[in-house]
Amino acid sequence: MYQTIAWYATLFFVFLISLAFSFVFGESKRLKDYAPIQEKGYKIRKYYFLCLVAILGLSAAISLTKLPYHSQTAEAASNLKIVNVTGQQFSWNLSQDTFTVGDSVEFRVTSKDVTHGFGIYDPNMKIIGQVQAMPEYTNTEYVTFKKAGTYKILCLEYCSTGHHLMVKDIIVKPKGGK
Amino acid sequence: MDLKNRASNNKGIAYALMITSVVLVLMMIAGLTMLLNQGKVINISPLLFYKIMTLHGTGMIGIASLGGVAILWYFLSKYIYLNSKIFFANLTFSLIGVVMILIAIFGFNFSDAWTFLYPLPSFSAKLNGKTGALLFLFGLLILGVGYLVVYFYLAARLIKEYGGLGKALGWDQIFRGKKGYGPPSAAVASAMVVIANSVGILAGATAIVESIINIIDPNITFDPLAAKNLTYAFGHIFANCTIYMAVIAVYEVLAEYTGRPWKSNKVFLIAWNFSTLFTLMIYTHHLLMDYAVPEWMLILGQIFSYANGLPVMVVTAYGALMIVHKSNIKWDFASSMFFLSMFGWVAGAVPAIIDATIVVNHVMHNTKWVPGHFHTYMGMGVIAMIFGFMYYFNKTEGTQKQNEFDKYAIFTYFVFFVGLVGSFLYAGKISVPRRWAVHFPEWTGTDQFGALCAVFIIIAAIIFTVRFFKGLSTVGKQSTPKSYKSAS
Repeated sequence: MYQTIAWYATLFFVFLISLAFSFVFGESKRLKDYAPIQEKGYKIRKYYFLCLVAILGLSAAISLTKLPYHSQTAEAASNLKIVNVTGQQFSWNLSQDTFTVGDSVEFRVTSKDVTHGFGIYDPNMKIIGQVQAMPEYTNTEYVTFKKAGTYKILCLEYCSTGHHLMVKDIIVKPKGGK
Repeated sequence: MDLKNRASNNKGIAYALMITSVVLVLMMIAGLTMLLNQGKVINISPLLFYKIMTLHGTGMIGIASLGGVAILWYFLSKYIYLNSKIFFANLTFSLIGVVMILIAIFGFNFSDAWTFLYPLPSFSAKLNGKTGALLFLFGLLILGVGYLVVYFYLAARLIKEYGGLGKALGWDQIFRGKKGYGPPSAAVASAMVVIANSVGILAGATAIVESIINIIDPNITFDPLAAKNLTYAFGHIFANCTIYMAVIAVYEVLAEYTGRPWKSNKVFLIAWNFSTLFTLMIYTHHLLMDYAVPEWMLILGQIFSYANGLPVMVVTAYGALMIVHKSNIKWDFASSMFFLSMFGWVAGAVPAIIDATIVVNHVMHNTKWVPGHFHTYMGMGVIAMIFGFMYYFNKTEGTQKQNEFDKYAIFTYFVFFVGLVGSFLYAGKISVPRRWAVHFPEWTGTDQFGALCAVFIIIAAIIFTVRFFKGLSTVGKQSTPKSYKSAS
């Protein structure tokens, strides 16, 4: 969902910026005194500034209410399954890699050697969450598996020449299925 | 300014621009090679891919900085005396550093990228030997020393001319009620860059020294999260400062072309002070997926990353639009590139701000969305400013004239750059990770489209470079050289 929002929001705002630049370019061959342009420009700028602050403030207020740092992002948080994850050049080691739809999992992620990126891809190869796998630290990633299929763990932090080989499958079975 | 020093400054700037233009084209070819490999059009080994990736990142950021310093030096020296020896010293340090880095990459297989994260270099040293890793790290340190020499010198000059870095940033006008305008925009921007980049380089040097010590004696270890903070403080600040240096050309040249002076009024000065503060603060948006970092720091990372967009959107880009509006400006290579570069900067800020949103970063961090946004403001922002300045330099110091080729080359460069960054951003939308040598089949379409765009961008960049070198032969052949104001 956030990927789609990011994409269309970018297209929309870049389109608006293009319009502004195209308008000014189109008018650039005309000549008018600068003083009245400045006067009007500064007035418009006040509203433009307030508008930007409102958009950014609203975006921050909404987006900061659901941070991925807390277990409430995983549904049924009281039944969390804890899975220990260790990354090392160039593989992932998980204490459990088979789950059932509806399972809420707390991945406790660390690294044995260098920094890796623990990225979880759903069966459609879309990222549903990630966290850094860093030596000496344990970061937690909360995931609720919502559909059955083969999920993948990909390394998302460059960790040397076998970086692209760090792929691990996770199987999520349907409820009541085998 | 004495004519001898000005001629010497111009000579140094010309050398820097020559190196910049050639390296830019070479690094673009390196970028194209990576895209062709990811798109399975060619097949190179992962090791070679990651070596090229290390070269591309280090080379591009280094050359953007060199081009930025050339712009800063050229325009600031119109207002205050700058000794050309310092500029040449930086060029020399840079060349030594670059040679060491090239030997490390191609002689000793160093491939840890320019924003390597401790303790990666010491693990690579175990695999490929210590020499390559140490050569790369010492090469970076020498580059850093060169820039520190420049920034400390600039700090001394700004303090002497304006009475302090705060005064150069307009604190008299902002806090002490002094009437009138602040120092010239070139001085304001220079003060900002001196403060921010000195801090950034010192942070980076600390991280590099930690890695060097750990390679020499693996028993001495450091905190990897603290080292990561230092690395991204450096990487973020250094990359951002390239545009804050290059934008000086936009202020100066658009004002000159439109005959409308770009004065540093109070709003302008406040914006640059906030840019200084935000640039130093917001590197934490690179650590949003490090949950071990205190949560308040990450939330501040998001909020101040949002706020950091305001100075450019509300003051600099808006100011550029206002100054061009109904100005009867003469559109030539320089003015076109500078105008479009402002579009590139602001357009790049949009996906950057979106990526700094924690919930978005959770699913887009380290995907191709990231190179998507920074290629927008680096390629269509900083690099466009540098190419624009190359033409302006030849035109002002020589007799270069625009021709039809230039128009087509500019059109090609921007249209295909939009295509390239569009392919990166779309790849980010579909979760393609960045920095992967080998791509899954479903990802290769975006790579191939990006590669096609890159071919046309490179053709345009080659035209820019050839035209720059031809124009350079006219430098110094003006019948009446321009006179300059200044200075002690």
